[in-house]
Amino acid sequence: MNRKVFVIGLIVALPLVALLFASLSRDPTRIESPLIGRPAPAFRLAPLDGGAPLTLDSLRGRVIVLNFWATWCVPCVEEHAALAQAAQQFGRETAFLGVVYEDSAPEVRTFLGRSGAAYPMVMDEGGRTAIAYGVYGVPETFFISADGVIVDKHVGPLTPERLSQLIARAKARAGGGRS
Amino acid sequence: MRLRPLALLLLCAGLRVAAAQDAPATSEAAPGAWTAAEVLGAPRGVALSGATLDAETKRVGSLLRCPVCQGLSIADSPADTAVNMLRQVREMLAAGYTEQQVVAYFEHSYGAFVRLEPAMNGINWTLWLAPFAAVVVGGLVIVAFLRRSRGAAPAGSHEDASSTALPADPQLAEYVRRVRALAAAKQGERREETRKP
Repeated sequence: MNRKVFVIGLIVALPLVALLFASLSRDPTRIESPLIGRPAPAFRLAPLDGGAPLTLDSLRGRVIVLNFWATWCVPCVEEHAALAQAAQQFGRETAFLGVVYEDSAPEVRTFLGRSGAAYPMVMDEGGRTAIAYGVYGVPETFFISADGVIVDKHVGPLTPERLSQLIARAKARAGGGRS
Repeated sequence: MRLRPLALLLLCAGLRVAAAQDAPATSEAAPGAWTAAEVLGAPRGVALSGATLDAETKRVGSLLRCPVCQGLSIADSPADTAVNMLRQVREMLAAGYTEQQVVAYFEHSYGAFVRLEPAMNGINWTLWLAPFAAVVVGGLVIVAFLRRSRGAAPAGSHEDASSTALPADPQLAEYVRRVRALAAAKQGERREETRKP
């Protein structure tokens, strides 16, 4: 009788314990983006310094690094140098775009005045583009292939190594993917 | 008191939408519309306005999870992201998108997580049915347990019922008869006592 209770208890408890241990190694705040492998949502974003809006279509044919960031976000500020350096290194073949997330243009100008703008910055009015891309927080960076498909999404600050790795992956997708 | 800033924000969102509607409805005037149209196609419902729009914005907003909060809907959160999302919900409802379309739009970019209540489909059915299944199984266990303990303890009462028959041994039968008579008399006495004032 007691043995039976013990066995039944084990049968009930073991899967729960297994589930707990399986979940411990996972980051509960990390949610896979459903957009990966799908066409990138269209955007139309006003450049920080005025001029014609930048659209997804106008950048088609190049790999796009779409970086959502804000000056109040410490990891964003940390990764900025890596992005600026990569923007110079990868030149014209890759389009870098800094999407300002819940921040004001003057703040961004002050920040860039200090460290310089190596790639175009755009304002996301009403957070529409952030919503279309399912942004949870900043920094989040999307890697879009030349044919306009989201290949990867990186959450958190980027290192130069990770950046070149993900750009290479987005380029490979454009080579072997649909046109 | 928490509702007041929310109401203000809703009002602001309302003014914004109103401003957008005053302008000719080109894609430039309502930049949200074309992003949604790309995913959803044409609106399938009736374009809402006024008090209905307010109420529906709040209701549909309460179905969507604020991605930067802990378990709050976008209708209940004062966070910028939630305010932006709610504004977009309002615009979409004003443009005639249905509740399903609005939820589908956010699910397209944020995934199923954006629904505060999981959708009733596929594997999610286990999620919805598990609590009821647990109640049923728990109930069955309790019933089985009660039945078994009733079967064990009142086993004596069963014997009582069957013992109206007397033992085969005449001497023993005689004793049993006397004991019963005594017991009956005792019970009668007790009844008498309780009847006394």
